[in-house]
Amino acid sequence: MSYQTGMAPARAVEDDSDVEEEALVADYKEQVQYGGGMEDLDQASLAQQADDIQSRLVQAAQPLDFQATLEAKFQSYDNYCALFHYILNSEGPVDLEPPSYYWAWDVIDEFIYQFNTFCSYRARIARQANNEEEAQILRDNPNTWGCYSVLNVLYSLIQKSQITEQLGAMRRNEDPMAVAGPYGSKNLYRMLGYFSIIGLLRVHTLLGDFSLALKTLDDIELNKKAMFARVMAAHFTTYYYVGFSYMMMRRYADAIRMFSHILIYVSRTKNFQKNTQYDSITKKNDQMLALIAICVAFHPTRLDDTIHTALREKYGDQLLKLQRGGPESLPVFEELFRIACPKFISPVPPDFEKPEANIDPVEHHLAVFMEEVKTNMWSPTLKSFLRLYTTMDLKKLAGFVDVKPEELRSWLLVNKQRTKQLRWTDNGLLEGELINISDLDYALQGDLIHISEAKMGRKLVDWYLRNLSRTYA
Amino acid sequence: MNGEDPQERPEQIRNIINGLERYNPQAAEVLEAYLQQQCEDKFCDSNANRALLKLYQLNPDRIKDEVITNILVKAMTQFPSPQFDLALHLLSPSHSNPGPNSASDLSEAVSKLRALNLQLERAEYARFWATLDSDDIYADLTTDIAGFDEMIRVRIAQLLSQAYREVQTSVLEGWLGLDSEAEVTKFVLETCGWKVGDEGVVQIPKNADNEAKKTEIREDVTVDMFSRVIKRSWEDSA
Repeated sequence: MSYQTGMAPARAVEDDSDVEEEALVADYKEQVQYGGGMEDLDQASLAQQADDIQSRLVQAAQPLDFQATLEAKFQSYDNYCALFHYILNSEGPVDLEPPSYYWAWDVIDEFIYQFNTFCSYRARIARQANNEEEAQILRDNPNTWGCYSVLNVLYSLIQKSQITEQLGAMRRNEDPMAVAGPYGSKNLYRMLGYFSIIGLLRVHTLLGDFSLALKTLDDIELNKKAMFARVMAAHFTTYYYVGFSYMMMRRYADAIRMFSHILIYVSRTKNFQKNTQYDSITKKNDQMLALIAICVAFHPTRLDDTIHTALREKYGDQLLKLQRGGPESLPVFEELFRIACPKFISPVPPDFEKPEANIDPVEHHLAVFMEEVKTNMWSPTLKSFLRLYTTMDLKKLAGFVDVKPEELRSWLLVNKQRTKQLRWTDNGLLEGELINISDLDYALQGDLIHISEAKMGRKLVDWYLRNLSRTYA
Repeated sequence: MNGEDPQERPEQIRNIINGLERYNPQAAEVLEAYLQQQCEDKFCDSNANRALLKLYQLNPDRIKDEVITNILVKAMTQFPSPQFDLALHLLSPSHSNPGPNSASDLSEAVSKLRALNLQLERAEYARFWATLDSDDIYADLTTDIAGFDEMIRVRIAQLLSQAYREVQTSVLEGWLGLDSEAEVTKFVLETCGWKVGDEGVVQIPKNADNEAKKTEIREDVTVDMFSRVIKRSWEDSA
């Protein structure tokens, strides 16, 4: 990304890592075309050695039916426990090859998905209190799909595979096999360990621990060389959860960067996606557009053309309301948050005796988030006035916006404080430097407001390059 | 982020929060003692405190109400920052929302602290001091945190210095929660090192944030930006 170094470092820089993207797209294209042949091979080899364990491996990656009975959910949990026990606690590493490149991702993905839906289901039964039979079963089995066991599986896979050490070696350009150990040198363990890290990112986000979620990715570099980038669903999931966690930590510039990256990637690979895979992605795609709309309202910035167009098509009206701010924008923030947030869960069994005490965790996280929205809701109004002047008397401005001077002082302070934001530069996702994200700055001398606006010179290079590549193609 | 990874953090705590020990229910005691130390020694380690809240989240039987409220008050002193919210996200919904018929002491206290924190986040400083004075419960909730008032006052002053060049003593009096202009003058001179000019106008020294300098952002064009186009045209013609 050396071509960006010339830009003013103190201000937010545009981050279109075209080069990396191009490589990713090419890589994905190759994979998809290659994929067809692989499947045939897999099936042939499966037919040959249709032994028990192989079919269990395949089974573990299969989605559980949406309407599965409680019994089936318990059964599925037991199956996972047995399988992971076999993989983790056999004498020495088990000698198995993963059935496919995607298998390890699919297993971890399905495992967490079932954990997630089970917790939501259990909470719903407790809240509605109209299914005594199932409530009793759930009450009697508090440890099924327990949070500690799920975390235990993920952490054990990470530890056994020495994946953290392997990734560290790769970062230093050393041979990962040298530190992989007897387990980690096997494909099965390495892949499971790797995707367990992404799994942890997801579980921590679902539990509302956004900083720990980002911390778990310390060892993974988000770039085209990352292993997850070769599995579309993993790639997509990673960016969604990272972006969401950034948003909840008020790091909107970083969130937008994450969402933009993956949305552009998806739009570029759209044409050679297989249909079934693409359908499942469309929903997440719309969710991320909704989240971008929220982030842009907090942190106005120029978006990539493709995303801007998609955003206007999908959430045009909502975006306008968000950007206008004020109390009218609050229901829209809520609506978009609900559409786009993960299905938060509570890690402990609900209280079946007091149905009303079991508040949906989504409501809880939404309520906390909305407070920050309310704190910022006057900033658009304020900025629209400030842009018109270079100096302004506070009391006069208070008259214009029809609030008391004390209140306006608070607005000015809030808006000024929020223009400083942590922004990622390199190293871990939680690191970053404080930058000024606004082009509007002001200072007060008593009740006199001095305003200055950073003038944006026209940016032509990006426009030129884009059109040039279009003409070439 | 403020109060995220303080230098004061001892080795033992670092090992707990960076390893699997953070899931061991027994670690709660160590982290509780560390919180106590933070309260006494006036520093804040929100990262370690979140590890403690996480343990409570997973083991609700270990919850100690006053530990939760102390963590929240500690996080509050870091305003404006996401620290308080990040701690709230780790609480059980029933702890942070007093229900109509299931209000516990903890949920009551948490909702009081939430309201107080919002006043700081929304820069309603005069209202914050008034709220703090309005009910004895606030004194109870903040009593374990040494120097709470002073920490908040210094932080407010610091934030004001990022926006103001000059400010009236009368305005400062409300914002800093002080009782007279004399006290304001004392605080401003001794703690902040600012000057008080004629007619009670406090002068705040220039800094990077209270200048509002004009800037122009210009596009820097480098050869690197065109490397792909050049490469392509070279390849095409070859």
